[in-house]
Amino acid sequence: MSDRSVPRYEAALKVTGRAAYEGEVPAVGLLHAALVEVPIARGDVVAVDASEAERTSGFATMVSYADAEPLKPSPATALIRDRAVHFAGQPVALVVADTLSAARDAARAVRVTTQARPSVTHMAQALNTAYVPAMVGRFPSVSNRGDATAALADADRVVRHRYETAANIHHPLEPHAVVCWWEGDKAVVHTSTQAVFGTRAMIAHAFNMPPADIRVISRLLGGGFGCKGQLWWPWMFLAMLAAKKTGRPVRLELTRAQMFRLVGRRQETVQDLALGFSTNGCLTGIAHHVTAQSSTHAEYSDATAVYTRYLYACPNVTTSHLLVRTNEPQPVPMRAPGTAPGLFALESAMDEAAVRLGFDPVDLRVRNFADHDQEAGRPWSSNSLRDCYCIGAERFGWARRPAQGTAVDGRWRIGWGMASTMYPAIRQAAKVRVQLAADGAVLVQCGTQDMGSGTYTALGQITADALGVPVDRVTVELGDTVLPDGPFSGGSQVTASIFPAAAAATAKLRATIAAMAIADEASPLAGQRLDDLEFRDGSIRSRSGNVGEPWANVLARKGTEGLEAEGESGATQHPDLTATSMGYGAVFVEIGVNAGLGEIRVRRVCGAFAAGRILNPLLARSQYVGGLVGGIGMALHERTETDRATGRMLGETLADYLIPTHADMPEFDIALIEEDDPHLPGSVKGIGMLGTAGIQAAIANAVFHAVGKRVRSLPIRIEDVLGRR
Amino acid sequence: MAKHHVQTTINGDPIEFLCDTEETLLDVLRNQLNMTGTKEGCSTGDCGACSVTVDNRLVCSCLMLGVEANGKKIGTIEGLASGDKLHPLQQKFLEHAALQCGVCTPGFLVASKALLEKNSNPTETEVRYWLAGNLCRCTGYDKIVRAVMDAAHEIRSA
Repeated sequence: MSDRSVPRYEAALKVTGRAAYEGEVPAVGLLHAALVEVPIARGDVVAVDASEAERTSGFATMVSYADAEPLKPSPATALIRDRAVHFAGQPVALVVADTLSAARDAARAVRVTTQARPSVTHMAQALNTAYVPAMVGRFPSVSNRGDATAALADADRVVRHRYETAANIHHPLEPHAVVCWWEGDKAVVHTSTQAVFGTRAMIAHAFNMPPADIRVISRLLGGGFGCKGQLWWPWMFLAMLAAKKTGRPVRLELTRAQMFRLVGRRQETVQDLALGFSTNGCLTGIAHHVTAQSSTHAEYSDATAVYTRYLYACPNVTTSHLLVRTNEPQPVPMRAPGTAPGLFALESAMDEAAVRLGFDPVDLRVRNFADHDQEAGRPWSSNSLRDCYCIGAERFGWARRPAQGTAVDGRWRIGWGMASTMYPAIRQAAKVRVQLAADGAVLVQCGTQDMGSGTYTALGQITADALGVPVDRVTVELGDTVLPDGPFSGGSQVTASIFPAAAAATAKLRATIAAMAIADEASPLAGQRLDDLEFRDGSIRSRSGNVGEPWANVLARKGTEGLEAEGESGATQHPDLTATSMGYGAVFVEIGVNAGLGEIRVRRVCGAFAAGRILNPLLARSQYVGGLVGGIGMALHERTETDRATGRMLGETLADYLIPTHADMPEFDIALIEEDDPHLPGSVKGIGMLGTAGIQAAIANAVFHAVGKRVRSLPIRIEDVLGRR
Repeated sequence: MAKHHVQTTINGDPIEFLCDTEETLLDVLRNQLNMTGTKEGCSTGDCGACSVTVDNRLVCSCLMLGVEANGKKIGTIEGLASGDKLHPLQQKFLEHAALQCGVCTPGFLVASKALLEKNSNPTETEVRYWLAGNLCRCTGYDKIVRAVMDAAHEIRSA
């Protein structure tokens, strides 16, 4: 095992049950909260009557739009300031009481009068209202390169199909929680959020108070995957209003059922995709048009077709995104946003094309490799996608792929499939502070939070490496707005963002210590050349002179309390980039389809991923495997069911919403292909999203390979294979 | 209604508490006894995050009432380590990176310990199906089964 594969920083706390998550923070006089929901999918609240609830045992207070009205208008306060109902199960009030069961009893006793209005409960009911959003994330909604329409009309072969993906729910194991209280005009907010600084900024806006008067803490986060962001704010604000009104701390924890509705989903998509080829297998034209769901109270679109602009070499590419507003919950980014649904369509269609053109699926992709970013017209900062194909195929044994429909193992019909994956490598602004104690202990601080993916460990390792000390000498503090500003946890960019800031802080400290040593007559390094000094094994040493001493000794002789330095780094400036940075991968799968029952099992997966330099192979592999299993869920299990008559979600439990379990787990082989990337600080790219995309198409392609049936709608369920749908 | 007086043993220590009829064992552990190592993931018995043992039987503490703990021996994640010495399962979870966010982890460890006490030499399939009632969204499971197999091997050879 590599010496970079150090165990997770906070693992000992997590395996002993001593890890304290934000909803578990103790508070004296704590009140418990419950939300009051309405069943209609669209309409208005006429009245909220708490008179009966007030008589229930333990009742403390209720807050509703009347209390939220003084908050400043914004997308984060719209749902709670307004009387409009946008989706079934929308909360309209929050009740607090002495115990959780008292709060739930009181919430049930609140009488809400509503005026229902006609609702749209599915995209299909309102396709005529589809519109083009201005942007999809940071990309334009519509793109045109060359003339795709003409190219498709002239193409020797055209593959043209509709692909669909279901609404998925993030479901981190920890439901959203807040424990909050007021100290005079100041607010203390312990909450499970992927963005402590964004949360602080939105509280400051909503409550019209200085950010310095607000402390948001998220030291340990029980998963997020995109849902612990802006959609949580309205419900958190209600808890803060209740804390203000009662003068007591308040805890609100969402129920699992509420996680289906209140904090986001991966949006449902319908994708029309056409690929045009010449007979020699070169792409001549691509048209990728996406229609997706957003809610009636906010707008969000994944960049679903955006990656079709980049992945392959093709002179003529057109893409577009349409949104349809429905009275369903609001979508937000979810694991591999955009790439997971978009690459399902693109990489399924590439497989269909390989079959039509008579090419091996890997060969067809290699033939269409994009040697530069054709959309922006600039080079890649690095792109090892062809190595991913080659190494993945070799390790999987792709060359021995049986002919379609011929491999059988007992009752199981065996299929092999593959697909590509990609995700942009971006950075956000970050500050990191490093303190050295006179005894050589190191403290590194950044306000960014660890979603569970390994930020504590990565920051500890980066700092330890830079100062030449063992990682166990480093204490890491994260997840608190009193610490230096750091990025939100999303888009696989935290590690890449904090790396240069930590490097800058540690470089300053090394320079200070080196200068102190050179100037210190008592140091064996007195008078040495600055550029000849290095930090390793806890010491500062001369490379050529074979002398050195523990750097703590340098500090100790000075009698200093210690040293401190802060490093800062900026966000990716997209318009100024001279090269486009992405991470890539190739995923190969073997599946079995039960010939009698139609059950699909993923038997083995080989993922070859190239995403810059890997800081910790143990945790990187863990993230890839976690992402791949998330992708298996999207491919084979996960789908929300909505009753179109009422707009209510059906089966709001983890028994009804299927996700992969231990018994669904295949055998994994992960190849980490390391890259030097001179355009990126430390050659660091994000890795979190890569594993989650690509595998959906690889599985669909393997299903076709096994049974000859092309399923173009996710999730692929038994009924799809049996032909009943 | 009057609260119930419950006498029980948790991780070997005699514990008494008062609880309402409708409070689950999970509520009692987390809210009254401040034993927050046992996690709440769903409160419908679907995710396994609240796994504890009751007289050595593995149960979801969200599906059991606090009053039902009367006279029973409860085992929770807080009882796995002996002081500072981690249980082999805990040590192997750490070494195999068999956790990320950590919310499912206590349930996995309690369930794995219950498995190894019944079956000290499980096959990989037995481990996978025994743990199929514990959900994880981060790790992809793979490392968990490796950690449990490795810990089982170590316990057998100890």
